Amino acid sequence: MTERRRWTLLLSILALVAGFALMLAAYGVAANRTTAAPKQAQKFGTLRAVIDTIDFLDPQQAYTGQSWWAMWNVYETLLTYKHVDGPGGYKLVPGLAQSLPKISNNGRVYKFTLRKGIRYSNGRALKASDFKWAIKRGFLATGQGVGFYTDIVGAKAYSAHPTKSGNIAGIIVNNKKRTIVIKLTRPRGDFLTILALLFAAPVPANTSTAILNGTIPGTGPYRFSSFDANRGFTMVRNKYFKPTVNIPRGNPDRIDVALVGDANAATQRVISGQADYSNGAIPPDRIANAKSRGHLVLRQTANTYYFWMNTHEAPFNKLKVRQAVNYAVDRSAMNRIVWGGLGQPTQNVLPPTYPSYVKLNLYNHNVAKARQLITQAGAKGAKVTVWTRQVSDAIDAAQYYTSVLNAIGLDAKLNSIPRATYYSTIGNIATHAQTGWARWLEDYPHPLDWFDVLLNGNRITPTDNNNYAWYSSKKTNSEIEGLKKAPVLTPAVNQRWAKVEKEIMQQAPWVPWSNRVFPEFFSKKIGCIHTQRLYGIDTLRLCRK
Amino acid sequence: MLPFVIRRLVGMIAVLFAVSVLVFIVFILVPGGDPAERMAGKNPTPANIHNIRQRWGFNRPFYVQYVKMMQKAGNGLLPGRHGEYDILRSFDTRQNVVHEIKRGIPATFSLCIGAGIIWLFFGILVGAISAVKAGRWSDRVITILALVGISMPVFWLGIVLRYFLAENGHPLFPDGEYVALTKSPVQWAYHLILPWFCLAVLFIGFYGRVLRSNMLDAMSEDYVRTARAKGIAPRRVLLRHVLRNSLIPIVSLFGLDFAAVLGGGAILTETVFDLKGVGWYAAQSVGGLDLPPIMGVTLYGSFFIVLFSALVDFVYAYLDPRIRPT
Amino acid sequence: MAEPATDLTLDSAALLASQEHEVAIVGRSPWYLAWRRLRRNYLALVSLVVFVVIVACCALAPVYATHVAHSGPNTVHAGEKVRVGGVLKDVIGGGSYYDAKTNQFVVRAPEYLGPTWWHAHGRFVLGTDNLGRDVAVRLLYGGLNSLKIGIGSALICTLIAVVLALLAGYYGGWLDWIITRFFDLIWAFPVLLLAIALASALAINGFHHFGINIQAGSLWIPTLVISYVLIPYVGRPVRGQVLSLREKEFIEAAIGQGAGPLRVMFSDLLPNVASTVLVFFTLIIANNILTEAGLSFLGAGVRLPDPSWGNLISSGQNQIQTAPWLSLVPGIAIVLTVLSLNIFGDGLRDALDPRAKVRIEH
Repeated sequence: MTERRRWTLLLSILALVAGFALMLAAYGVAANRTTAAPKQAQKFGTLRAVIDTIDFLDPQQAYTGQSWWAMWNVYETLLTYKHVDGPGGYKLVPGLAQSLPKISNNGRVYKFTLRKGIRYSNGRALKASDFKWAIKRGFLATGQGVGFYTDIVGAKAYSAHPTKSGNIAGIIVNNKKRTIVIKLTRPRGDFLTILALLFAAPVPANTSTAILNGTIPGTGPYRFSSFDANRGFTMVRNKYFKPTVNIPRGNPDRIDVALVGDANAATQRVISGQADYSNGAIPPDRIANAKSRGHLVLRQTANTYYFWMNTHEAPFNKLKVRQAVNYAVDRSAMNRIVWGGLGQPTQNVLPPTYPSYVKLNLYNHNVAKARQLITQAGAKGAKVTVWTRQVSDAIDAAQYYTSVLNAIGLDAKLNSIPRATYYSTIGNIATHAQTGWARWLEDYPHPLDWFDVLLNGNRITPTDNNNYAWYSSKKTNSEIEGLKKAPVLTPAVNQRWAKVEKEIMQQAPWVPWSNRVFPEFFSKKIGCIHTQRLYGIDTLRLCRK
Repeated sequence: MLPFVIRRLVGMIAVLFAVSVLVFIVFILVPGGDPAERMAGKNPTPANIHNIRQRWGFNRPFYVQYVKMMQKAGNGLLPGRHGEYDILRSFDTRQNVVHEIKRGIPATFSLCIGAGIIWLFFGILVGAISAVKAGRWSDRVITILALVGISMPVFWLGIVLRYFLAENGHPLFPDGEYVALTKSPVQWAYHLILPWFCLAVLFIGFYGRVLRSNMLDAMSEDYVRTARAKGIAPRRVLLRHVLRNSLIPIVSLFGLDFAAVLGGGAILTETVFDLKGVGWYAAQSVGGLDLPPIMGVTLYGSFFIVLFSALVDFVYAYLDPRIRPT
Repeated sequence: MAEPATDLTLDSAALLASQEHEVAIVGRSPWYLAWRRLRRNYLALVSLVVFVVIVACCALAPVYATHVAHSGPNTVHAGEKVRVGGVLKDVIGGGSYYDAKTNQFVVRAPEYLGPTWWHAHGRFVLGTDNLGRDVAVRLLYGGLNSLKIGIGSALICTLIAVVLALLAGYYGGWLDWIITRFFDLIWAFPVLLLAIALASALAINGFHHFGINIQAGSLWIPTLVISYVLIPYVGRPVRGQVLSLREKEFIEAAIGQGAGPLRVMFSDLLPNVASTVLVFFTLIIANNILTEAGLSFLGAGVRLPDPSWGNLISSGQNQIQTAPWLSLVPGIAIVLTVLSLNIFGDGLRDALDPRAKVRIEH
């Protein structure tokens, strides 16, 4: 073979390879194409949203605010929350149920009746037994929310060996009468809010226990029509849905959601008109610019960012040291540093959105007093390791916190560990972590979701502990246990919760410092913007200008 | 030739096997611990953690876990329906890893093929010009620019390009995002211009340097002197003899580099420009210490590297019979 | 074709070598000759000086921090004021805040103090970041970490690779087979992918096997990871050289005279590959600094809050609109360092061994 022919052949092979590769690419592209929906000349048309991330679009699995934001419009629960702005958004209203349940036997038995004629987005009728299947499915699929339902009679035994044919005796359903009766082993004041969690959204009986993202039919105003875990998903109207007083029909005909992790890029999409809405926290320094190029809404959600101090580890086993740290932290400065000021300084455990919230002013910024307390406690120069998670806002906050500890005479250094293992590390008693960063975002609006999970000494476990301060006070514990039995948050109950909160903060196991607000960014074409306290931007009620 | 091919194939499989073992060891044995705790969520019950451990087999001996994992990866490659726990799935998102890698391929291939064409073309151009103009100012300027290109962190270049050209004031380019070729070829290219350029810069500099020194070496070879002595026009000598022979090492370099970027090596470029390709997928999984996707992407990348290095050997043997293997 | 000029080009040393008068080089050691060639390559020498200056500056980071900037790398100055050219300025001004009276947020962009150059008597020379830390101090400390990792991993990598190559090349046989397969195995990984996989696995608990104890978060983790993944890139070519040297008469002669394996390897073979190794070493440092930056950018390298050039770039990204210097400055530092090493390495290669080729990974 001559040299020339050899080269010609080589070039043609290269061309072939390139062509083949292009075909492969094109194939992949074609395979991923989603079916285009017919354009309807309606009032709103398509809402193009940009979200930073989701975890699952499966009601028994999803456990992030973003996923719940999307799924709330697809899966309905027995009870739900009103589509209104402001404090009214915390009010429980009937969803799939005809009315609020009948509670009997001292808060141990709940009886619901389903509304008539409800259908899933695939046309199937909703049955009472679907609710039972949903709870069982959670256990079978090792969902993240199963911990909420173990107080149902028979659920503990079922959770040890979940099988498809197994039974949870405490859930009694009657498909003919459309009734659901739930029996609890002990009264639980937050049980109604737990039933309103999307974990308990009914799904058609015998839906696979595999994680089915965006393919399970729901009973809400929309259904998922496409899903790609890393790129985005689409919601279209559920033609079987009938609006009720509490669940409106929704303005957008279609919701296209793109997943963009980079906050700068997400903001840029709204500015350039490629998207109508972005939830990605705008970097603080773009806020002023963004304000003039779209609508900026600061959404208040129930969250508390705090530093815990382990009450069993020196020097934080001394009350004076814990108090000193509380005095030393300049909460406004911290909010400004970490989020460019988009957080409300706080000294409370509960966020201000709660009806039982009473603003505490126990520790106003006073470095001199803090130093004095440290000296009195004899903790000067004590070695402290501050734990934090490898996420930029947590590192910034912890860095500031470390410098505060050093400023009042402790000898603090920072230890940041991977985000995936952070909570299981600090929640393990063997770590002996002294102090560190944490936050709590509400699961459901009830003080129990805070005090019982985070500060009840009776619930401390040696591993996977959520009470990072290892805080336990007999008086507080028994008060929390007692309040657990109160089924309704009456003003009197709320007052008792406020007292518990004050007692805890006087013992200072935490340094709460912020209730963060989230900047939500809309293009100028969006007219009315509504926020639901629990689920965020209320997609159903958005409208165009 | 056939024994050579067979030997290479066996070697390929052996290397891929070893790669998978190594990645598995790195993730299972080194950290010491199973991911069941974090999979159970922020409010875990002991029973649920136990169930997760059982279902995923985290309580099995590590060699059983390895075999299971490879079986699952194989199942993921095969078409058909498989059970929840019969496929290689991510711990975090529970997505089918093979499927997710496939979804990343269009973006990765688009990025790499485009950038590959750019860097090959400009690399050769730059190298040839600076070899011909060796010692002149143009050569010096090109050489310095090429070295600057080699010395830049690719993600930093990406950030700078994004800031000046895609975000600040009145942007000229879109800020990241991959648009499918079939959706709109124009938008596809428009969205990819910055990433292409960003990825290509490093290689242009490098190829230019290599080609230049190869050509300078070739110019002093006997056959070139002979050709010149025969009175062949200098331009013809340059193109026919010098450039052509100097390109042979470039073929091998290109093969290996192209394999590396196809196999997820463009991880930084993909991350900076939010191109959801294979490298991006790996970068996402690293933060969550999510073993199966990293395992999958590493095997996928190794496959390309091993395949292309075998191909390069064949091409070499073909172009240069002196090194043909027996 | 024009004759290449004899000064300032990167390969002038190579050309010089070919033009050297034989009289002048008779009886001189190869190292002297290499130095003769190198010292005429001004660009390479300038680069060496630049690199040495950068290393010296970073090494003096603690001095700069205490005596010039009066601030450590992690000292938070948010809320303080500083006098810049006679004017009192906030280290961090602006920013949104919650107004308790109106129960509303006042939304404003934060204003970070920009580079003060020398107008603040050495404080905040390159401005401040979102925590009010001194960027210049962090840049120097970051450089110190990056250089420690870059140079340290280059040392370890070259050391291991050369020892393996000598063993493989000298003994041949099954030992060679094993070592070559080991090279092949690492070679088959996508470099950055293997590095982040290793680094993130080690980030959980560190490494506590075989009597080695490395804490999670230690600088040793990126150093060892980078040196490990790059072993074959040095080991393969050096092994090739050793293999061809092994056949040479002087080695046969040494063995014939009864020299033991260690002696042959380290006093006969090693000096003959030393020049190649030295060139590799220089270029590998440059390459490793880039790799470290990439790792830190992906969150698998140096852990925040400890600075490195890579993580300074990535954390500056959040403030790029109002404080672009946070990302730009460390990037420029990397380019300068790596560029100077690359130019010097090229010059060194030309001076020592005009034909050696180095493969740089990205």
